[in-house]
Amino acid sequence: MSDQVRIPYVAREKDLKDLHLSQVAPEDQPKTALEILGEMLKYKRSLKLYLDVCTHCGACAEQCHSYLGTKDPYNMPVARVDLVRRVYKQVFAPGPSILKSWDGAKAIDQETIDLWYKYFHQCNQCRRCAVFCPKGIDTAEVTIAMRELLAHIGLPSRFHAGIAKNMAKTGNNMGNPLPAVLDGLEFLEEELKEETGLDIPIPVDKEGAEVLFNPSSSDLYVNTDGFMSVAKIFYKAGVSWTLSSKITETANFGLFFHEPTMREHSRLLVQAGKDLGVKRLVAGECGHGWRTWRMFTETINGPLPFPVIHLFEEVLDYLREGRIQFDKSKNPEKVTYHDPCNYARGGDLIQQPREILSACVQNFIEMTPTAQYSFCCGGGSGILMDEAMEIREALAQPKAECVRSTGAEILCAPCAICKAQLPDVMKHHKVDVTIKGLSDLMGRALIL
Amino acid sequence: MADLNVNGVNIPLDEDGFLEDSDLWNEEVAKALALTEDVEELTEEHWVLINYLRDYYQKFGVAPMIRKLCKETGFNLKKVYELFPGGPAKGACKVAGLMKPTGCV
Repeated sequence: MSDQVRIPYVAREKDLKDLHLSQVAPEDQPKTALEILGEMLKYKRSLKLYLDVCTHCGACAEQCHSYLGTKDPYNMPVARVDLVRRVYKQVFAPGPSILKSWDGAKAIDQETIDLWYKYFHQCNQCRRCAVFCPKGIDTAEVTIAMRELLAHIGLPSRFHAGIAKNMAKTGNNMGNPLPAVLDGLEFLEEELKEETGLDIPIPVDKEGAEVLFNPSSSDLYVNTDGFMSVAKIFYKAGVSWTLSSKITETANFGLFFHEPTMREHSRLLVQAGKDLGVKRLVAGECGHGWRTWRMFTETINGPLPFPVIHLFEEVLDYLREGRIQFDKSKNPEKVTYHDPCNYARGGDLIQQPREILSACVQNFIEMTPTAQYSFCCGGGSGILMDEAMEIREALAQPKAECVRSTGAEILCAPCAICKAQLPDVMKHHKVDVTIKGLSDLMGRALIL
Repeated sequence: MADLNVNGVNIPLDEDGFLEDSDLWNEEVAKALALTEDVEELTEEHWVLINYLRDYYQKFGVAPMIRKLCKETGFNLKKVYELFPGGPAKGACKVAGLMKPTGCV
């Protein structure tokens, strides 16, 4: 890339070192990228399959919020993956070269790398295209692979690399050192006391607790109402729980671009659970983090001595057993629900949040489309960089129209990325709605 | 973003306009950073926020949780946005010379 600045910004050399990555000279990038792609094709069978079986039918194009929002033809899932497919056909696919050129094959060059960087950072890995593809091609898998490839030629985004570095240093994405985490938790205990008059504990490293709760670190910075609600629910249900000082992060950004980070994050959580001797791990509100825990933890770090479950599954148990009750009148507003992509299309969480909502809010209305057909917020896969704000706003356009048409006052979006993305982009699209987690609504309605 | 020049001293900024080196912060630098955040004049109320952020940062190395910032300065979130239109993380932290809070924020 010549003098243009890449959006999002590329990681600096000092950030790469901590992830055991290094910069590759621009002139060497195409060659190195080809070598990595060749290796990936050997062990990522899904990647090879998706490159082979696309018929270019175009069923994905109009289902992708990225294309709908940006109107950039490269953001059609078929075209995005073709940026890799054309190189794959040229180099790795069988057949005579004359047929390959008719089939769109193209040699890799520096421009290819530029296009990969740009367009694999405009895919939210939301998997909506996969719901509509007759061949079941999951572009998210291709984006994950291509971001991994880019990372290994020194081109992860600065935002993602910085977060992975924070995670490795502190056990949370914000890079909060333990004394700061503990200071914040002590403050929240005082807040709980002031609000309820009760001594509601936030235990840390409590050995033998029943539950190890793993929040998102943003719950301890900005979404504190939701976190305090969780403490209230455990208190009311009489469940012994704890946080771990080793890890206060469900959001596993490694999934988006760097498999070693993803694996290490998962290992850290499992180890924390084993060290504390808990009966189960409970994940807080985070879409992709949940997908990682539910779908990959057992494979990567199994066999596990305990189940990994979601907060909503845990709360539903309490509700059904009558251990907690809600007073719906505390949430009288018109509430609609945004399905985080990785709950609805990657984590088996569609009905559970709705069952909770119907118990704790008075006026719940569905959005259209909904559940596995729901549109991404536009922040998925960690596209939360300030420098990418114009793109984020465009990516959010289809969702904004869905929310607007509900007329809801509250948009329940139980995922830390969605909560970071939606306030800015809803404001940009002039949708007047307040964003809340499901925990926030549960906490308001909980009868203590 | 272009670096700051404060009384003849070059102060490097990152692309988001945050200090590359927090140790280079002083009150004059704060005033120059405020201008980049559309804050023309730092009033007493601005300094209450800035000083709280600086103290917390020196003790813990990060920004305080927003709820705590509000509680201990006595400013609600709306007031914080009035003082720093960029908000507590991206506006106030920048002027106070802190690192930019990152993650799902």
